Amino acid sequence: MNKIVLRLLNVREVPVFVALLLVLTVTEIANPHFISKSGAQDLFLGVAVIATLSVGQTFVITMRHVDLSVGSTAGFTAYMIGRVSGYHHGLIFCLLVALAIGLIVGACNGFLVAYLKLPSLVVTLSSLWIVRGIFNQIVSGNTITDNQVPNSLGYLGRHSFLDIPYVFIVALVLVLVASFVMRNLRPARDLYAMGSNPPASALAGIPVARRTFFAFLACGAVSGLGGAILLARFHSADSNSGLGLELNVIAACVVGGVAIAGGVGTPYGALLGALLLQSITLALGALGVSQFWQLAVNGALLISAISLDRYLSLRVKPTRILRAT
Amino acid sequence: MDIEVLTISGATKNFGGVRALNGASLTLYAGEIHALLGENGAGKSTLLKTLAGVHKLDAGLITLNGLPFVEGSTKLAREQGIAVIYQEPNLFPDLTLAENVFVGRQLEKGRLVDWTGMAQEAQRLFDQLGVALNPRARARGLSIADQQIVEIAKALSLNAKVIVMDEPTAALSSQEVDRLFRVARNLESQGAAVVFVSHRLDEVFELTSRITVMRDGVTIGTTLTLDTTEADIIQMMVGREVTDLFPKTTAEVGDVVLSVKGLSSEGLFANISFEVRAGEIVGIAGLVGSGRSEIARAIFGIDNYSAGSVYISGVPLHPNSPSQAMRAGIALVPEDRRLQGLFMAASIARNSSITVLNRLRKGFLVRAKAEADLAEQWSKTLQLKFADINDPVERLSGGNQQKVVLAKWLASKPKLLIIDEPTRGIDVGTKAQVHKLLNDEAHKGLAILMISSELPEVLAMSDRILVVREGLLMKEFARDDATSEKIIAIATGAVTV
Repeated sequence: MNKIVLRLLNVREVPVFVALLLVLTVTEIANPHFISKSGAQDLFLGVAVIATLSVGQTFVITMRHVDLSVGSTAGFTAYMIGRVSGYHHGLIFCLLVALAIGLIVGACNGFLVAYLKLPSLVVTLSSLWIVRGIFNQIVSGNTITDNQVPNSLGYLGRHSFLDIPYVFIVALVLVLVASFVMRNLRPARDLYAMGSNPPASALAGIPVARRTFFAFLACGAVSGLGGAILLARFHSADSNSGLGLELNVIAACVVGGVAIAGGVGTPYGALLGALLLQSITLALGALGVSQFWQLAVNGALLISAISLDRYLSLRVKPTRILRAT
Repeated sequence: MDIEVLTISGATKNFGGVRALNGASLTLYAGEIHALLGENGAGKSTLLKTLAGVHKLDAGLITLNGLPFVEGSTKLAREQGIAVIYQEPNLFPDLTLAENVFVGRQLEKGRLVDWTGMAQEAQRLFDQLGVALNPRARARGLSIADQQIVEIAKALSLNAKVIVMDEPTAALSSQEVDRLFRVARNLESQGAAVVFVSHRLDEVFELTSRITVMRDGVTIGTTLTLDTTEADIIQMMVGREVTDLFPKTTAEVGDVVLSVKGLSSEGLFANISFEVRAGEIVGIAGLVGSGRSEIARAIFGIDNYSAGSVYISGVPLHPNSPSQAMRAGIALVPEDRRLQGLFMAASIARNSSITVLNRLRKGFLVRAKAEADLAEQWSKTLQLKFADINDPVERLSGGNQQKVVLAKWLASKPKLLIIDEPTRGIDVGTKAQVHKLLNDEAHKGLAILMISSELPEVLAMSDRILVVREGLLMKEFARDDATSEKIIAIATGAVTV
């Protein structure tokens, strides 16, 4: 029994899950109407996009990189789906548009980082602006409104299965599949090795450049998918769609145990992180706390998450010279 | 009947103008532990790195199991059956031990990673090595000894025929050394050829069956361990041809500048006491990892210490405060100039003035002209070769970089100069210049504490020589009493004092 508890404590996602339960319980005690059908729907709808995007971000952060372009890509994709498709276009068509845009951005990021060895922070900051710039040029003040959203996609955003919104179910399935892949496929395991010890991973025969490229490509594809979910969820898109989302996504990852220094973390951890951040926002709202404080609380949570990581990684034994006698 | 696993003959390798290997040879048999010995710069590391696939020989032949060894790829070296265990292994701290053993080639069941199979296989390897490690634990926080074991398990799983251990015992406790020896003998009995590189002669004589000694890039000889003595081995190691040393002249010795009393730091060094006087050059000899550099760092206040005290001209120094150490008149030229000594991307002028910015200030601003003037003046004194004083120091050669480090510290007009590896990786001509400079500064009354792995340098430059081993100050020699043989014997543990 004790052994199981100890092993659980070693799993990075467990404290996040416990914190999530704690937030929900405490808020429910203070405000008995908090946990309800509509409360749950708010929570699930609120995290669907972030959770989707954080799957791609997990691939990238795990190998000690970062992708800041996901918000722009998702927003642009959401708009373009509405723009190129009509009311009667099916899901497959929407997905193809989403993937096409996502893969293009991902391929550019991946090429620059993996093969030209440019720092991902700067590369993806640039692509954040470039994509947003092209986006604004194409939009030029237009808006995608409800009646331009393909019905198939709009349906996902409006309906639920057993009271769980379809958009969340899509995100959840993606998270679970990605978590399985990250755990069990060799190329994905290489991402952990690369983030944990970059110089040693090249020496261990890992094709570092190829893995880096494909991780960014996958992150781009997932961002496109996130754009489709963004459109489904809001039934509209304009030049502000997805603005600043990348920061929420990175926060969800870090709070959920995806260390910014790479090497550890899971997509389901990032999902838990997103749920925790969103439920705190909702809880503070339910408790009547101003939304300015909500941002501050999110910031504090981030700092605690990285402090915990720092503390854990400092517990390394020093070298010894004097012989024990 | 001995089976030859690996033969190296006529190995030659140049780095720029420096000849690291000059026709070295080595033969390894299956089922032996073979010691490879030699002073710093003898060519051991180059030879090992060639086997590891890091370097390619300029000339020479390496045969592995009767086939020519393909050089120049770490991956191919591994696949051909050579594994190198470094003094500080390079594990993946976030991965489990099992995954560390199989990293990059994880076992699969179908297309999925076989976690159970991998853990079982790692457990089997650990059992085979006779060590208790949990294959499912993460590598973070593992002791160096355990990390080495994981690397050895990896070597076994790769079916390595030649396992090279590069100074594996330097950072281990005595129990850990015993365990490593058990593991090495285990590998030997399973038919592997184990190369054991160590400077500790007592260990070499306890563990190995044959010894090869290198010097100046060539193999001096190979002998059965049973047929030789520590004195003979030391005789083979020393006697490097030294043609590039500056003739030191004895300066007038003044007052005590540095006085260290009972300095101790847990696990690193204990009860270190000595003095350095004005005009004196005191050399510290000892193996890499003996605690030499740690003592210097503690004196300068970079690391804290647990007991003892440091005095500069009789005034006690606060522990753990480099800025106070600088104000008291200490300068430290560190062993790694790229990482610790210089700001590589900053200019020569910036680097030379960094210790004296306060003197070059006008109001809140540092005067660029004063900075450049100071740098020009020192570069003349030190005969620095450069295109422009505003060029980044990374464009300079190693020797000229070292001069910039010296300039920066001499500009602060110190009373005591601690210099760690004064001439590492710099060419012969510059070496002599650095030696002359140290000699001149001593004559001007500077007290110098010099740490060096190059025994000829220590012998030639020092007025007195302190020998440290495993964190303890073993012996002090006066200049006239010191010989290579005596120092090596003490530093390597061949004789106990």
